[in-house]
Amino acid sequence: MNCPNCGTNNLDNASVCVNCGRSLMAPPAQSYTPPPPPSYGTPSAGVPGPTIPNYLVQSILVTLCCCLPLGVVAIVFSAQVNSKLAAGDIAGAQDASNKAKMFAWIGFGLGLVVSIIWFAMSGAAFMQGIREGMANR
Amino acid sequence: MKAWRIASLVVVAAVGAWVLYAFAPTQYGFYPRCPFNLLTGLQCPGCGTTRALHQLLHGNVKAAFRLNPMLFLGLMPFALFSAPDFLRGRTPAFIMKPWFAWMCFVVLTGYWILRNTPLYPF
Repeated sequence: MNCPNCGTNNLDNASVCVNCGRSLMAPPAQSYTPPPPPSYGTPSAGVPGPTIPNYLVQSILVTLCCCLPLGVVAIVFSAQVNSKLAAGDIAGAQDASNKAKMFAWIGFGLGLVVSIIWFAMSGAAFMQGIREGMANR
Repeated sequence: MKAWRIASLVVVAAVGAWVLYAFAPTQYGFYPRCPFNLLTGLQCPGCGTTRALHQLLHGNVKAAFRLNPMLFLGLMPFALFSAPDFLRGRTPAFIMKPWFAWMCFVVLTGYWILRNTPLYPF
């Protein structure tokens, strides 16, 4: 039988896992304290089961185009998604993914607000210039 | 990717390239400004991209490189390597690798700090 904790294949009559020492006599499935990896057959390390978006490209674009430090924060969370996925921490990766998404959107929104304010101000200055040009003619 | 999406991308790119070619970003104020530069006066990692693209469209590769070297050393290789996957609607495998994401973070923040110091060579 396969160990529910680490996936190691043990003898059918084994009472504890040879790899991680977890009891194999424990009642099945429902009462695990740590959430088990979704597939018992394959070891979870290195092979991400579900795809969790890391928003890395979006984060980089926010950093470059909206230029706010929030973009860098989003990149850090993107990198954490990758690290946690590689470590088999699906829940942590999902959490970091949500945060990367959130910070990328906040950065994008703030960049947009500043840009709109700047456009409004430069537009006003432009109209002012036209008015002065008319008056001086 | 659907044909109309590719077509609209090409049209947007062509119009953008024409505007960038015809109107120098240093002389016309209608281009979006970098909010970070606007607020702090410091350069962000993306500052100079618009000017660099303008120079590039005029064939001045050297001038474009000086305006934002990271555009050539980082973004262009990234675009080349990831384009085949993105065009098929897939996420390139290297984007999900921890080393790649952390490298992006280190390179971007390092470049960001460096280009605001007198040590910056350009």
